Amino acid sequence: MSNIDRRDFLKLVGAGSVGAGAGFMLAESIKHPVEYLIPYVVPPEDFSHGIATWYNSVCSMCPAGCGITVRTREGRAKKIEGNPSHPVNQGRLCALGQAGLQVLYNPDRLTAPMERTGDRGSGSFAQITWEDGLTRTAEHLASLHKNGQGNRVAFLSTGVRGHFASLLELFMEALGSDRLLHYDFAHPHTLYAANKRFFGEESLPYYDLQNTRFLLSFGADYLGRWISPVHHGLGFGHSRQGRATGRLRTVQIEPRMSISGAAADQWIPARPGTEGHLALGLAHHIVAEGGYAGDDRENWVAALRPYSVSRVADQTGVAPDTITRLADAFADTQPSLAIGGGAAGNCSNGVATLVAVNALNYLVGNLGKRGGLLFNPTPAFGSSSHPRQASYRMLSELAEDARNGQIEVLIINGANPVFNLPSAAGFEQAMAEIPFIVSLSSFLDETTAMADLILPSHTYLESWGDDSPEPGMGFAVGAISQPVVSPLYNTRASGDIILGLAQQMDLGEALPWDSMEDFLKARWREIYERGAPADKLNDFESFWRSILQAGVWGEKTQNSASTFALDPNLVDNIGVEAAVFSGDSEVYPFVLHPYLSNAFYDGRGANLPWMQELPDPLTSVVYGSWVEMNPLTAKKLGLSEGDLVRVESPHGEITAPVFVYPGIMPDVIAMPIGQGHAEFGRYAKDRGVNPISILAPLMDPDSGSLAWGGTRVKIEATGRQAKLLKIGGESRQLGREIIQTSSNREGANEHAQINSIPISVVSS
Amino acid sequence: MNFFDRFTKGWQKYRKPGYYEEFDYAWTMTIDLDRCTGCSACVTACQAENNIPIVGEKAFAKGRQMQWIRIERYWEGEYPNAKLSFIPMLCQQCDAAPCETVCPVSATYHNQDGLNTQIYNRCIGTRACAVYCPYEVRYFNYNDHHWDAPLDQQLNPDVTVREKGVMEKCTFCIQRIRTAKDEAKDDGRRRVRDGDVQPACVQTCPTEALVFGDRKDPQSKVSKKLKDPRAYRVLEELNTLPSVVYLKKVDADG
Ligand code: SF4
Ligand code: SF4
Ligand code: SF4
Repeated sequence: MSNIDRRDFLKLVGAGSVGAGAGFMLAESIKHPVEYLIPYVVPPEDFSHGIATWYNSVCSMCPAGCGITVRTREGRAKKIEGNPSHPVNQGRLCALGQAGLQVLYNPDRLTAPMERTGDRGSGSFAQITWEDGLTRTAEHLASLHKNGQGNRVAFLSTGVRGHFASLLELFMEALGSDRLLHYDFAHPHTLYAANKRFFGEESLPYYDLQNTRFLLSFGADYLGRWISPVHHGLGFGHSRQGRATGRLRTVQIEPRMSISGAAADQWIPARPGTEGHLALGLAHHIVAEGGYAGDDRENWVAALRPYSVSRVADQTGVAPDTITRLADAFADTQPSLAIGGGAAGNCSNGVATLVAVNALNYLVGNLGKRGGLLFNPTPAFGSSSHPRQASYRMLSELAEDARNGQIEVLIINGANPVFNLPSAAGFEQAMAEIPFIVSLSSFLDETTAMADLILPSHTYLESWGDDSPEPGMGFAVGAISQPVVSPLYNTRASGDIILGLAQQMDLGEALPWDSMEDFLKARWREIYERGAPADKLNDFESFWRSILQAGVWGEKTQNSASTFALDPNLVDNIGVEAAVFSGDSEVYPFVLHPYLSNAFYDGRGANLPWMQELPDPLTSVVYGSWVEMNPLTAKKLGLSEGDLVRVESPHGEITAPVFVYPGIMPDVIAMPIGQGHAEFGRYAKDRGVNPISILAPLMDPDSGSLAWGGTRVKIEATGRQAKLLKIGGESRQLGREIIQTSSNREGANEHAQINSIPISVVSS
Repeated sequence: MNFFDRFTKGWQKYRKPGYYEEFDYAWTMTIDLDRCTGCSACVTACQAENNIPIVGEKAFAKGRQMQWIRIERYWEGEYPNAKLSFIPMLCQQCDAAPCETVCPVSATYHNQDGLNTQIYNRCIGTRACAVYCPYEVRYFNYNDHHWDAPLDQQLNPDVTVREKGVMEKCTFCIQRIRTAKDEAKDDGRRRVRDGDVQPACVQTCPTEALVFGDRKDPQSKVSKKLKDPRAYRVLEELNTLPSVVYLKKVDADG
């Protein structure tokens, strides 16, 4: 059905027959940009009037790495669809992925290189030439390089993978700097750390949603913005209805109902930061009931002793019989799968919590098994992002170094730390100490506004690149990103900017390529050469053409069967400390639960008008921020929808209207992340508030990542009102039976109302 | 003969439900509420495909948004037993469409494929159809809309950009249906194959909650979905005979 397995995938790829694109031809036409006086008297090879051409590429709107196929007409991109042969998304996309064209055609793009003319952050820039911009940057870098001070250059990129990530590494190495960092606000540091501790591998496994029968999620909004939402959506849809092994049952544990919580058969609110306790409580019950028969059973019994059901019930606020029933269902419904992340991984005990979730999978035997958790091979090529991903601790160190005058040059590529870090981190102030800041961003975001020089890069739809998605699919997958239209403006691909700088700095030996496209082809030639002779197409060019057309590539090497042996010391050390919260609970009675918004992800989608006007799935609100609170809390505080309240933490305050939300614990306040931009173009600027700004600089000590679920706040009415823009209509059905439910588990054999009126008019 | 009988007789005389049975296709969509997660990818996909304008904050505040497919959400119960369910709502392409009979200029009519179709340049903007539509899925252009350049470069050349004073709504992506029919004809096939047409919303839906096809083809995916005992139509009692059929959400509580 919907699911491409490895064999099908290789068949598709091998044949090179999928995706109708003619990307290589476009590439040729881009290399020789020609201005036509009379347009299209001699039309470029790859288009005819009125006939669409499709190009396969990779979505870059979030780290999931879905394959896309872009429909172009007369040289303009018209529509992005999912690439049906890309195993991650199999032809589907999320809302943000659909909106990628508004990145390309955004009216607020930076159109040419610029230098700062006013104060930093003032936003006044004047246009310069590429030559000027590159030379000035190269001179700065070269003088440091010559004096052996390359390490005074820091590079902060958004998360990138594949060969572009390798290029950055080569560049920084040649420069003599190890300060190459990637930064994505939502990078799951705690999950990697927990996997390293439990499985010995610092990577993400494959969660086999499509074959599991019971999915227990601790805070991971897998259908929202957690890791790979489209792939999870595919697995979820497939296993909910229509498969032979019966309907998937899902349980979601989280203090505020997310998209996945709404989709779950059961939503269980647990006190923030106690998800790990709950996981160990379940483990305790499973082991006690004889659900685990390993040799080290006694060790587990001892380690789990402090997590008796009654104690855990007290800690988490979840009823004891709910815990036991859940534990029984999880152990008895095989295969089952527990996942953890999101809020559960974002407290000061995040790593320990996610280790506890892994333990749960281990105890009921979900590891390395169909319908459970499968181990991934290492990415097939290029570099992955995680080893370079900056945790909060690493960014704080960078800021510290900047304050101490150890950073001379900062190069920013797409990352937006000024927006995505709490004000308490003082990153913006630290940036002020850096003498020379260059930004390669396509938009004037908050961080780019601090730059001295802007060398604007192409958007992803105009650039060459490749990607090996992480988490992988359990087998080696790659995809090529190719330009789908000629560049709109006087911008350059980030890769070409890096190579241009290298040339000017005489780093040609380490980086001998003329362009990103050259570099990419050189690397793919190596991949071609190492392929088994029998699988090889005649020559490299036809191989290259076939992967451009397919948009995806797979290697015919067998995935080494992962065996898993538990480190015996681990069992004794299993345990979860109480989460630490910033702020005295007397003064700050609520826990702030910031969440990634469906439309904006971590804020990067806020400049897209389609996303601004997309009603939030759970609240239907558009164009703004809001504060979600339980109806009881609202009543107690005398608040109702639209009342403007001040949300104050020990580290700052923001003001937004109340939204009364039935799916949230009474002592938790939730706010979406994404709005509240001070820059970032006309659609994003000065709209709503940014809850990240008031977060405490609190970390999970094991991974050094920001504990963004660990800030307490108080709520004060301002006495003012704001109209919350949302879709009108009743929030309750009032007996209209618009949404009908079938109480039977498998949905089988209900008396079908529909039969009263014949629906099928089959005649011919 | 009471009024009601007279009315139905008159109706049958002038409007034969199913008159298009003799034609080739009966396009149908099924929406599985047990799969739909409310993710709203369909909403953006439709906007991108069909040149649906962004109306802006002010117009939105007046309830003048244009999205042809929207996600409705309904709460049930109270904390901690609160439940939230979603239902994608779009033009139901009714066989007996209340909006059609009420249009004074027949700007909205039924085509041979069973689609409820809107002729933009015949529409005079009485908005009567929107009042009569029980599903509230017709959207009126209160203004001329504007795309900040170069956002207009994205506009789909296969779809008209509508003007102020005109009613619009989901078309089942009729431009895609037309293309598929043309291609079938070029290939010398009499019929469009199942799966050849996928409206934008269906194509992107991550959970495959949406399925589209021809219910006259008993082998089509959609015909098979229609046999699901969970199938129902929204506001069935109104007898509008929608071509959009929902599959009930499964409530596996406890
Ligand atoms: S999940 Fe959405 S944004 Fe992320 S890669 Fe896939 S389509 Fe793009
Ligand atoms: S795209 Fe599919 S799952 Fe998402 S809201 Fe639309 S119908 Fe539901
Ligand atoms: S069928 Fe086409 S027009 Fe109708 S809601 Fe879906 S995408 Fe929009």
